Amino acid sequence: MASTTGRPANDDIRDIEQSPYGKPGTVIDETTPPIGTLTIEGERTLDTGEREMTLNMGPQHPSTHGVMRVLLKLDGEIISEADPVIGYLHRGTEKLGEIKRYAQITPWTDRTDYVAAPSNNLGYVLAVEKLCGIEAPERAQYWRVIMAELTRIASHLVWLGTHALDIGALSMSLYCFREREIILDIFESFCGARLTTNMMEIGGFSRPIPDGLAGQVRNFIRVFPGRQAEYDALLTANPIWMARTKGVGIISPEAAISYSLTGAMLRASGINYDVRKAQPYLVYDRLDFEVPLGEHGDTYDRYLVRMEEMRQSVRIIGQALNYVEHMDTPLANFESPYVIPPHKGTMTTAEDMQRHFVWTIKGFNPPVGEVWQTIEHSKGELGYYLVSDGGPMPYRFRIRTPDFVNLQALPHMAQGALLADVVALIGTIDIVLGSVDR
Amino acid sequence: MSDGDIRDNQNVTDEGTIGAPGSDQPTQDQGQSPASYKDKRSDEADHVEELEQDLDLDTHDVDWSREAYYAEDLERHPAVRVLSASLPGAIVDIIRFRDETTIHVQPELFREVCRTLRDDENVAFDFLTDLTAVDMLRLRTSPRFDVVAQLYSLRNRMRVRIKAGVDDGQSVPSLVPLWNGANWMEREAYDMFGINFDGHPNLKRILLPDDWDEGHPLRKDYPVRGWKEFPVYNTERTVPRLRTRWTGRGV
Amino acid sequence: MGLIDDRFDKNVFVTSMDFLFNWGRRQSLWWLQFGLACCAIEMIAASMSRWDIPERWGMLFRASPRQADLMIVSGTVTKKMAPIVRTLYDQMPEPKWVVSMGSCANVGGPYDTYAVVQGVDQLIPVDVYVPGCPPTPEALYYGILQLQDKIIRYGTMARKRGVDAAEEQRRADRSEAMAGVRG
Repeated sequence: MASTTGRPANDDIRDIEQSPYGKPGTVIDETTPPIGTLTIEGERTLDTGEREMTLNMGPQHPSTHGVMRVLLKLDGEIISEADPVIGYLHRGTEKLGEIKRYAQITPWTDRTDYVAAPSNNLGYVLAVEKLCGIEAPERAQYWRVIMAELTRIASHLVWLGTHALDIGALSMSLYCFREREIILDIFESFCGARLTTNMMEIGGFSRPIPDGLAGQVRNFIRVFPGRQAEYDALLTANPIWMARTKGVGIISPEAAISYSLTGAMLRASGINYDVRKAQPYLVYDRLDFEVPLGEHGDTYDRYLVRMEEMRQSVRIIGQALNYVEHMDTPLANFESPYVIPPHKGTMTTAEDMQRHFVWTIKGFNPPVGEVWQTIEHSKGELGYYLVSDGGPMPYRFRIRTPDFVNLQALPHMAQGALLADVVALIGTIDIVLGSVDR
Repeated sequence: MSDGDIRDNQNVTDEGTIGAPGSDQPTQDQGQSPASYKDKRSDEADHVEELEQDLDLDTHDVDWSREAYYAEDLERHPAVRVLSASLPGAIVDIIRFRDETTIHVQPELFREVCRTLRDDENVAFDFLTDLTAVDMLRLRTSPRFDVVAQLYSLRNRMRVRIKAGVDDGQSVPSLVPLWNGANWMEREAYDMFGINFDGHPNLKRILLPDDWDEGHPLRKDYPVRGWKEFPVYNTERTVPRLRTRWTGRGV
Repeated sequence: MGLIDDRFDKNVFVTSMDFLFNWGRRQSLWWLQFGLACCAIEMIAASMSRWDIPERWGMLFRASPRQADLMIVSGTVTKKMAPIVRTLYDQMPEPKWVVSMGSCANVGGPYDTYAVVQGVDQLIPVDVYVPGCPPTPEALYYGILQLQDKIIRYGTMARKRGVDAAEEQRRADRSEAMAGVRG
């Protein structure tokens, strides 16, 4: 079994073992290198003027947002190298996607970015619809937009709560999760689950929208701007917050493009790339909203960009609700062979029940081909690459998660930063390890 | 809907597709684009050629959004034009499906192709969205893997997919000199498939443990549950896993 | 229980002290902040404004295993993470309890793949299994209440029949849970 002792197979452990200060019985005299200097049997000796220490910010750590390990090489308080080690939550979702039918994969997409599950579902479902060549009707698209934007707000609330908690503003997490509970109540009325929602279906929605849902959502967007003003008042002009986030983790626009960063990481550096505006999907081209851009590319700018994104999301939800509140057109094109029959029909009519049975057990066969579909997830650009060989299961199921790519910027940002900034940097990238490792 | 057993390497096509991923156009004809897509030119191709002359590729005002190149003739795609002009032998095949274009290139020229597309002022594919691989074992015999790069042009808001077919053991040039973001993407492709990238600074496993000796999981001949069982701590006993009628193939 | 076992004869005063220790143990469990995956978000939600589980019962999140006596394994345990889970469990001082939260920690969950350990009970002995994917905070609430009942039973048994009998019963409970379902 791989490393039962729990020691990572890594060169840096070897360095620590060979330090003479750790071994009892060593004679310390003037030839012993000073504390903090590491030698590996003549391979590498640092000058006596330099002191470098390797610190393991281990997989179990309150502020790594999950199980990630960061190997920090420190020179006093200043970081000379930060190496994130991921893979502690690699569960094989892409491999599972090759043995599950297209409709069965949706629950596993929930669990990649688990704080924003409906968005993941949306990306996947849009990819399958593109592959099959179908489109959901307008009413379903508006509801999808509403749910996607609620998810964006929920994800940013988790981000803000945990980021502020790590930096030290402990009460922010309580407030953010209080608002998030309202959103999770909306999700629960809509699809029955709070966190791993599995709410988007191929082709639309098979069950009718519950009655009070529009009222619930309206209630939320009435209450939320006031609460967000509270967060603003707490943090935005707070000197401690500004001291800890301004100038920390600056990414230049060229570096941002080179590292393939997306989402708030890219927009805070000034590059205007939002998939909702660049390649609109669903009904985003009919809705009126702005994409916030930052100037300096530091942590404070990313904070401002995400706060503004929450406000724009509220705006989008309001507009979408105005359109959709009184629509009663069908929620999916139930005639298509790729779409699940309506729930009511499945329960009452024989034809729909038979179709549902075949659709569930045998699956449907989309055309041969490959598609790439991206959406603007709260963390950046979430992409799904599906290769179909004509069978009921995908041939290749690839999820391009934004955090995996954004996390590459951590060594770049951490170089020269202080040790206390590492938690701010990990928080500002907004990672969710399920999404990084899949 | 298509039927037919793909595993027999038949070239199954469907309406709206011009080729399948891993279409069995042989990659041995060096320097010659295969005739497959040329045969499917419609009668309106001549009319399109007249239109082509009106279009001036060198202006920046042209809006190369998704709809602009949606036409039967694949050569009209700006990326294909750029590549045909500067690297004529690179293109092996071009496929269009829905509104996406996939360009198969020679694996040795993978980095050069991407560099050309990135540095060209008109198409300016300056953003690497994704870099991954597909194991084509069940669809064709050789080459085994397809290294896939999704490129995006921030200015023109346009996407293109570049594919390079490599065999097991063959290595492909790394895109890390062009984009830093390719670093972890290639490490993941190496981890999952075993594809070597020439010129990668730190090609080691990223998602699986460093001492994982059981192979590369996303290959098609790797079972979903893995080869080795995980024993109960401090014992040699393993807990057997269920295998039912619904467990699925390859498990 | 072991603290004052041999110091005094078994009289009413001692049994009240035992009861007091046991009460302290179950009513102020300090749990190890060990969130792995999606269940961690529900665990965090359970400790936030609406449910506020730890604060109501005198519990506390501790980051270091040396200061914790309850480990809630919430999320998928992968083969890469397995040695670390075991190390953390070993680092916790006795008496310690383990709650396995969510179906990934119970039996590997929906992930029957090459990289996932099918249940955290292949690594550490588990006292309470909380099913769900993820379990709602109410379910976690119920699981912790069950754990507190278990601590009462354990304490009562130790008081009435001695510590060794209680340890034996606890070991039997755990191995029964581990071996029962899968044989």
